[in-house]
Order: sequence, then structure tokens, then C-alpha cells
Amino acid sequence: MNESEPVLRVRNLSKTYMQGKIPVHALTDVSFDVKKGEFISIVGPSGSGKSTLLSMMGLLDKPTSGSVFIDGMEVTKVKEGDAPKIRREKIGFVFQRFNLIPTLTALENVDIAMRFARVSKHIRKERAIELLAQMGLGGRMKHKPSELSGGEQQRVAIARAMANHPAIILADEPTGEVDTKTRDMIVALLKELCEKGQTILVVTHDMDVAEKTLRRITMRDGRIASDTQQ
Amino acid sequence: MFDLILKNITHRKLRSGLTVFGIALGIFAVIVMGSMSENFNLTFDKSISLTADKIRVMPESGFLGGGLTESTVREVKRVAGVSDAYGLLQASLDPENLGFGGGNVVIGIPPEKTQITLKDTKLTGGRYLVTGDGYRAVVGSSIAREFKLKVGDELEIKSKKVQRAASITHTRNFTVVGIMEYTGSFFDSGVIVPLDRAQKFYELGNGVTMILAVPEPNTDPEDLSKRIELNVEKVKTFSPEQLRKQIEQALIIFSLVTISAAALAAIIGGLSVTNTMLMSVSERTKEFGLMKALGAETKDILFMTVGEAALMGVIGGIIGIAGGAALVYYMNSNFAVVLFVITPRLLAIAMSFATLLGIVSGTYPAYRAAKMSPMEALRYE
Repeated sequence: MNESEPVLRVRNLSKTYMQGKIPVHALTDVSFDVKKGEFISIVGPSGSGKSTLLSMMGLLDKPTSGSVFIDGMEVTKVKEGDAPKIRREKIGFVFQRFNLIPTLTALENVDIAMRFARVSKHIRKERAIELLAQMGLGGRMKHKPSELSGGEQQRVAIARAMANHPAIILADEPTGEVDTKTRDMIVALLKELCEKGQTILVVTHDMDVAEKTLRRITMRDGRIASDTQQ
Repeated sequence: MFDLILKNITHRKLRSGLTVFGIALGIFAVIVMGSMSENFNLTFDKSISLTADKIRVMPESGFLGGGLTESTVREVKRVAGVSDAYGLLQASLDPENLGFGGGNVVIGIPPEKTQITLKDTKLTGGRYLVTGDGYRAVVGSSIAREFKLKVGDELEIKSKKVQRAASITHTRNFTVVGIMEYTGSFFDSGVIVPLDRAQKFYELGNGVTMILAVPEPNTDPEDLSKRIELNVEKVKTFSPEQLRKQIEQALIIFSLVTISAAALAAIIGGLSVTNTMLMSVSERTKEFGLMKALGAETKDILFMTVGEAALMGVIGGIIGIAGGAALVYYMNSNFAVVLFVITPRLLAIAMSFATLLGIVSGTYPAYRAAKMSPMEALRYE
């Protein structure tokens, strides 16, 4: 892959849902590029289509028309059976509700993402310890999610998203469930990862979060209303 | 993935425990019922193999109809192809208390024919009957255990004779001169006494209840059996093959009844696995969605859920087998008769049944889990 080529390319993406017999245009002709190492936020009121856009980019849903390219590969065209491979190799997810597996420890929650990628046990453990240490959770590895604070849980989730060296991290309202102090800490952490070359796309309705990203895309009624560098 | 499966099972201890217990109960039933059925099969096989080379000659009117005498024995002996024939007298050891499975029997045998009848069955003590023995007896291993007999002890035998409306019971002590090893055949519940003493004690004159005919070498027992029926009046013969077929049919029905009762119990256990797994899958909807978002493939999810159900089956199977084996061991060592035999075949059946039950019961819940769309699963609350 050429260094200058964008990590993510979204071209003319549209999604129409049927609500009963009425078509709902959740996304209309959305196009944009994301370069490697960019820290970008997508903002907009609820119903503006930002979550739908995230689902398309994360291969969690299929668009009605248009394409998404990750690392030059058109992921909207891959077969259902190949989607898991792309999800685990190219994309890291961070969710609003952390979505850690409650029965597993912090270490195992990071480990499981690499397990699906068939990484050997020895390498998995090494990588999980390294990532958790990087997140400042060196002493909390053996704790279950219920024994961790919201901020700690989200940091485990970020470590999990990083595990397979994804091309891009897609974060859906990553600060939606934490207090402002924790929010600032998480945003600072994401920013730090970007400075090290990780591409991160954050969907949020929190303007304080959006202001800290270097580029902001504002959505309205399923379209891009503005795309600004800050 | 095995550690994840184990974690999920141990996470809900009570629920998994109850499910495993359900399967264990089913497999317990399979082991107990199955070992009973296996015991009957083996007893039958060994009994048959002890008498496989001989043709049974019975009175035409049925087993207890009488009518066979020493002169019938001589007639049978004269049939071409018969190398030897001798009469046996069979009676119940205690006519007032007929036990399970026919109970204990007294078998009158001409002393010189004991070895031919019992083949190479060894004695754990004492000696076989010899010509000229009086009221002496060689007893089977179950009899020795039930009555706590040693060589030299006395064993009381009862005879019951119905005369008009009343019945007269005679008793007589026989001295135990020998104790047979365990054979797994009906001889274990037999008391072998000299034929002439049995005839006298039961007041049967020179009557016998059954004649055993030994075919000459190179004589087809089936043909000979027909020839005996043609040459000797008022007798019915059972060649070893006929006898085998007749008993086998009865055994198949017995096996079917016991095994299906046990299978039913195990299937109910299987339904409880399905129920548990459905609950567990719907509780973990979000977790499976998340795993898919993390890149888990359908086969990973299937493996985890089916594996969980299969493991519960295996654990239930092991507990059921252990429990069943313990009960069988207890019953065999504390009761007079050996009623159960756990064979490798039965163990294999029980274990694979338990595992299969788990897998089959877990398949539908696993399919539901694997088919979940990651987005819908993640939105699920």
C-alpha cells in the first residue's frame, strides 16, 4: 500500500431502511477519505446517520449503494463469510457500553480478540500484557469487568481494539458512559495513540470530545453538512 | 477455546449443576438398566455354551407334564447318531418361595455325567459327585453365597406334593461335598444332587424332567434333533440353535423395554440441556454479537456453544456412570444373586449417548447464537 493512499475511503455511500412501507433514508451519498494516523470525529444530532455510517464502515451492516475501501480493499463487496476476517484484521471496535465479556478478566478480554485471529497463545499473552500496561492497567489485569471502573473498562476495550493492529479503530460514543474527568483521560489516550500512527474515527455527540480531534465531520439528515480541519 | 467453554459452565454453577445432574440421572438409568440386560444376555450366552453341544429332549406335553422316564432315555440313546443320552431332574429348591428369574433349582444328574454336563467348570472347594454318593450335593456359587455354605455343611431341600386340596411338604438335608466356581450361567443357582436320590426324594420313580442327548461327532445336531422326535414317541426336542433363537427373542424384548426406559430418562436430561443452552444463549446475545464484531467466525461461536453442551453431556455421563457403577457394585455384593454386569460395550454406549445427547441438544441453541447479526446483537439489551 502506498503511504499516501488513504486508510479509509468512503464513496457515495447510501442506506435506505424500510420502516413498514415507508423508506427511511438514513444515509445519502456520503463520501470522504481518512488518512493514516488521523484522529477524526463524526458529530451530529441523533438520527443524523452517524451510527449507520459507522456500521457500514465496520461491516456490521450492508449499504444500499456505494462503497467502503479499507487499505485499498473494497470491503462492501466481500462475501458474508469473509467479513469476520476483515473485522478482526482491519477494524478495532470501541463501544459506548464497553462491551467487555463479564466472565473474563481484563487480560482475557484483550486475549479473546487475538484468539479469533488464530494468534498463538504465547504471542497473545505478551501482546495483551503490553497493551494493558500501555493503557495504565498493569495492576488490573486479573480483574473482571465488574471490578473495574468505567474508565478502566473503556481502556480495556481500547486495548482489545488495538490487539490485532487494525488499520482503523472505530469508536462509537466511547465517552458516553463516563464522567468528564474520565472522558478527558480517554480522549487524551486516543489522541496519544494517533500520534503514534493509529488511525481513529470517533462517533460522538459530545462537542467537547469533537473539539479535541484534528478533523470534524458534521452529519445532518444522512448527509455530510461540514468537514473541517481544526 | 476449551477454557472459555469451561468458564461459561462454571460461571452459572447452579444452572449448569442441575443440567449436568439431569443428564447424570439419565445415564445412571442407562447403566443400571443396561447392566441388568447385559447380565441376562451373558448368563444366557454362558448357559448356552455349557449345553451347546447337546440336544434337549422334553416331554411333548410341556416341561412339567412328566412322562419322561429312564426307558425314554434308553430309547433316545438308541437313535442313530446319539452317542450318549442321560436324564436330568429339575425342581425348585424352595417351592414355597419362587425367587426372581426362576430362583434356585435342584438338578438331579447321574453322578458319572456331572463332568459332561458342566464341562470344565472348576470347584472352589470339595469334589464332584461320584457314583454311589447318597444325599450329597454340589452347589453353585450363588447358592453357596446365599446360604453361606462351606464343604461339609447341610443344605435343606424342600419338596411339595399336591394331593387333592392339600399339599405335603417334605424336607431333607443334603451334605455339601463341593462348591462350583462362578460361571455366569444358571448353574450358579443350582444344587446338583445324584439323580437316583432326587427321584426318590421327589417320589418320581424313574421319571426325569429332561433328557440331554449328545450327538456323535460329525452329526448335525439339527438333523439329529428331528430324528429323535420321529423315533421316540411323545417327546419334543430343542436343538441348541432352536433354544438359542427362542431365548434370544425373549431377551430382545427384555432389552428393548429396559433400554428404552433408560433412554427416555436420558432424553429428558437432554431436553434440560437444550433449555439451559437456550437460556444461556439468549442471555449472551450481546456477547455473541460482540464476538462477531471482534471477528469471530460462525464456526467459532458454534464450537463454543455446542462444546458447552457437549461438555455438560460428558460430565453428566461420567457422573451417571460412576453412580450407576457404584449402585451395581453395591447390589451385586450385597444380594445373593448377581443381577448386573457392566460390560465395556455398555460403558461405551452410555458415554457416547451422553456426549451425543449434549451435542444434539446444544445444536439448535448454537445455531441461533451463530446466526445472530452482530449489529442487532449489539443493540440488544
